[in-house]
Amino acid sequence: MAKKNGKIAANKKKTLMLLSMVLPGTLWLFLFRYVPIFGIVMAFQNYKIVKPQKVTILGHTFKLNNYVSNLLSSDFVGFKNFEFLFKAPTTKVMIRNTLGYNVLFILLGLVISVAFAIMLNELTSKLTAKTYQTLMFFPYFLSWVVASYFVTGFLDPTRGIIPNMMRNHGWQVIDFYNTSKPWPFILTLSNVWKQTGYSTILYLAAITGIDTSQYEAASIDGASKWQQIKYVTIPHLKTMIIILFIMNVGKIFNSDFGLFYNVPNNSGLIKDVTETIDTYVYNAIGGTGGNFSMTAAAGLMQNLIGFICIMIANTIVRKVDEDSALF
Amino acid sequence: MAEIALNQKRRRINAVSIPAEVAINIVMILFCALCIVPFILVIIISFSAEDSIRAIGYSFLPQAWSVAAYEYAFKLGDALWRSYFNSFYITVLGTILSLIVYILYSYALSRKDFKYRNLFTFINFFVMLFGGGLVPTYCVTKQLLGLSDSYWAIIIPMLLNPFNVIVLRTFFQSSVPDELIEAASIDGSGEYNTLFKIVVPVAKPGIATIGLLTAIAYWNEWFIPKLYISASDKLHVPLQYLLMKMQADAEYIAKNSAAMGAEAGMAMMNLPTQSLRMVLVVLVVFPIACAYPFFQRYIISGLTIGSVKG
Amino acid sequence: MKMKKLLSLALVATMAMSTLAACGGKTESTSNDVAPVESVSDETGAETADSNPFEEHVTLRWYLDGNSVTNDSAVMEAINKYLNEKINADLEIIWGTWGDFDDNSLLAINSGDPVDIYFTCSWTKAEYNTYAKKGAWLRLDDPDNNILKEYGSDVWNILPQVLKDGAVTDGNDGKGVYAIPGYKDFGTQNTWDVNVTLLKELGYTLEDIESRDFFTFGDILAAAKAAKGDNFYPLVIEGAVLERMVTNSIIVNGDSTGALSYYLDPSDVSKDIGSKVVNKFATEEYKKFAEKVHEYYELGYIDPALANGATANDTLVAQQNSAQYLIGTQSYALGYEYTTSAARGIEVAYVPCTSPYVDKTAAQGAMMAISATSENPERAMAFLNLLNTDPYLMQLVAYGVEGIHYQVADNGLLIREEKDADGNVVTNYHEEYTPWRNGLGNITLLTPTVDEGEGFFTDKFIPYYTSARAIPAFGYSFDGTGLDTELAAVTSVQSTYALPLDCGAADVDEVLPKMLAELEAAGIDKIVAAANEQLDAYFASK
Repeated sequence: MAKKNGKIAANKKKTLMLLSMVLPGTLWLFLFRYVPIFGIVMAFQNYKIVKPQKVTILGHTFKLNNYVSNLLSSDFVGFKNFEFLFKAPTTKVMIRNTLGYNVLFILLGLVISVAFAIMLNELTSKLTAKTYQTLMFFPYFLSWVVASYFVTGFLDPTRGIIPNMMRNHGWQVIDFYNTSKPWPFILTLSNVWKQTGYSTILYLAAITGIDTSQYEAASIDGASKWQQIKYVTIPHLKTMIIILFIMNVGKIFNSDFGLFYNVPNNSGLIKDVTETIDTYVYNAIGGTGGNFSMTAAAGLMQNLIGFICIMIANTIVRKVDEDSALF
Repeated sequence: MAEIALNQKRRRINAVSIPAEVAINIVMILFCALCIVPFILVIIISFSAEDSIRAIGYSFLPQAWSVAAYEYAFKLGDALWRSYFNSFYITVLGTILSLIVYILYSYALSRKDFKYRNLFTFINFFVMLFGGGLVPTYCVTKQLLGLSDSYWAIIIPMLLNPFNVIVLRTFFQSSVPDELIEAASIDGSGEYNTLFKIVVPVAKPGIATIGLLTAIAYWNEWFIPKLYISASDKLHVPLQYLLMKMQADAEYIAKNSAAMGAEAGMAMMNLPTQSLRMVLVVLVVFPIACAYPFFQRYIISGLTIGSVKG
Repeated sequence: MKMKKLLSLALVATMAMSTLAACGGKTESTSNDVAPVESVSDETGAETADSNPFEEHVTLRWYLDGNSVTNDSAVMEAINKYLNEKINADLEIIWGTWGDFDDNSLLAINSGDPVDIYFTCSWTKAEYNTYAKKGAWLRLDDPDNNILKEYGSDVWNILPQVLKDGAVTDGNDGKGVYAIPGYKDFGTQNTWDVNVTLLKELGYTLEDIESRDFFTFGDILAAAKAAKGDNFYPLVIEGAVLERMVTNSIIVNGDSTGALSYYLDPSDVSKDIGSKVVNKFATEEYKKFAEKVHEYYELGYIDPALANGATANDTLVAQQNSAQYLIGTQSYALGYEYTTSAARGIEVAYVPCTSPYVDKTAAQGAMMAISATSENPERAMAFLNLLNTDPYLMQLVAYGVEGIHYQVADNGLLIREEKDADGNVVTNYHEEYTPWRNGLGNITLLTPTVDEGEGFFTDKFIPYYTSARAIPAFGYSFDGTGLDTELAAVTSVQSTYALPLDCGAADVDEVLPKMLAELEAAGIDKIVAAANEQLDAYFASK
């Protein structure tokens, strides 16, 4: 009996200790992520600004936060704030681009990064591997603004290296910022260029966590390198692959604003291949004097679709392999 | 000699074939070149004379060199160095604080015997899908918590990225065997003691990776400073934001020139030119380019220590 | 109603938070927390009648747009010393800078930051008319609480009539004044910026420019291109300005889409030629213009970098400063030829397309609005009144402290920078303190600088701008209430095609029809119809 009580007490203590560990993070999440969620009501309102308001609670008069008074005083307009997303002449184009690039980036990111991680791991000289890894990770450090300067250095119509090279060779000069065709390639390359180092490092860290004796055992059993990768490495990377995949699926309706806005310099004539939901919202809202209700509506819609996609992806994963599911 | 022999021995036991290794090297060299060549170009542009740029455009071999753009940039003087310092300070302090929060939260989530594991996993996961948006977040941060015009106003709003929690939790799960924790518990080690004395050393590669990613996030952040650091507060402006601001200024005036009328012309003339901004790009990137190999070494050493198994 | 109740319930927790915020804020000495009860407007009326309304010390927060100010401590000290004496208030300035102002001021306004006075105008995102409608500004001449009459009559009396008329808008509390307009360069005159030095080199004279127009510049441009080689682009343009100049159209006040136009008679700007508000891209004039500019672009007269928003400003400034152009576009400001000739080392002349005119957009070029959330609107008004009528205060805010940010010459004029014989700046006194002067208020109070010369404001500035005539539909402004969906979609289309079309980078036959189809799909007709209905109503009421 005493032993059992002791165990319960120990368990209680353990739970308390673990709770104290999640406390700082939870507090942060609550303040910075959960409290602001009430602002979603904005998406359904014709948001107005009102004079400061006061409330009386138990005989004490308090000044109400301005933003909260605005929300309380604004009228509800149903789904009107969502209309601009679907009534735009380019609605189809921007949805196609957002989804298309995301699918492309997810697949390419997965294949290239896993391949690179495995390659780096197989290199005999660890110093060379480290050097490659260092160089490869470099673009990830740079913001898209900085990266857009790099792109400009190559593509600028009058001063860029590539147009100048074309001119010197007497070729027809491509006016890159006004020609759609090369942009799917440029954007994809930019994305691979910037993100590969990052995901390669995540996978590589996971690979180095694999017990080397497993490879040796496989090798002694006569497994070729290829078979080792297939039967030892990939299964170990599975959890990481699935987690990154599910997370990316959740952002399927979002796009990397910097990539699609800064890298093509927000240039107009190429928007049929560069416009995504985020760049559209940014450009369109300007005409309404910054209507935050519409921005909130767009964000909410993106979140909802991402949520649905994550749920679907997770359900499928759970069916196939329960341990790898996110929740 | 011994080392070669060792290498040969290793190769014999379990290594890729030599042609495969050559192929891997070629692929890697090409990709790595792609990664750094643009930066080299920007460095060259920043040192190119304006006349050369006008005559032959951007080039790896300009007709004439010049440090004029740098001279102009250093005229920013104190503001520039102050921003440099700010970026470093925010990055170091922010990364340390973030890591503490990450390790604590992720470790608890990685414990299969944590009673509320699913609840707190969900609390963390949910915010990746739903957020309140810009205005309410701004309101809470600035008005409710009073964070503005201080280092905390940049560090605290960036303290946690739910995605990193999930990644680190996965690291803990896959690299720290349950038996290790159980053994420690049987030995009477307290939870915190187990975490910092036993688990953290084993999970170093994962922690170092997350630390690096967090440091980069702090270094590159410009949007949060833009929101919570007013332009007149010179004390806390980080470098990346300084650069962004210059770009934004130029685009703003170009966009509004028709409506601003005569104002635009005068305002335009006071703005830094493109070559100055190229200099700033170099100044933003240079410290990371220098510091990164050291980070990298730390990670690699972490990786080797971390591979203690079974 | 049920929805509202639900919402109220859902926000109980948040309310508790907000009260916390209010309490927590009390320890700080910001204006809004000092006197939460007194500040409500209808309660103050009785009090102001008998006692000193400014008995309590407050801090006013003032949000500005402009250049970066790197060190304002000396100036703020002097300002606060003066304001403490005059209106028993401290001032805190938030120096918004060009690139940040749109996003940051929008957030501050929408989330109700404690700011008393905002810079606003017709061309920022937090547009004056739109935000008057949304309730962000306090109506200054509210019949129930006319703080303009009570505390701001001095500034109101000295403003030119066009500025007063321009400030009237149909806001949330009825038609009235929601901001104090700045007395600055409010006339618009679009001009050709001509590099006379090069023009003469080519064997032409200024008359050759004056006698031609955009459509007949071809031979001069060709001569320049031939003489200066392939890397020389004779036309340096801001697309949007060029389009207005060539088609004689003006921005429709209150329109942020950039797709609407209203037309003027270039020879007589105040003559009513019966123009309606139109979708400018659908007009014959626009097509003709776009084709010509495309022709020039194809001939290599225009640098392609000008057709790209990210590089346009850099390229333009670089070409102008290095005098690598022949003809440019410039919205003219008085005395500009002297400034630019000196800066570029060539002779620059400005050839006007029209006489100067005032439209509502220019009249609302820089204004100061009192935030609806201000706790001390009376004090804010009193401050604006003082700023716009007191030369000492205005000079302090605009130019800084004497002896630090400027020196005074023997003839009483201001020296802001010392120059050598070649006109190069040797010492720049105001390097750390260069606010955007014309975005502050009544600049005619200032002592002229040495460059401007004695009597600049009284003899040149005021006569020039007061001679500017108002356009026919001056008081009209477009109200897009309820059309946000269409406005957003149209803006997106405009931002896609307008710049490349205006700069000639786009093939007109291919792009323009596509653009028009998209504009129609985006609902431009609905916007144009609403705008014209409002225009007719305006003329009817006049």
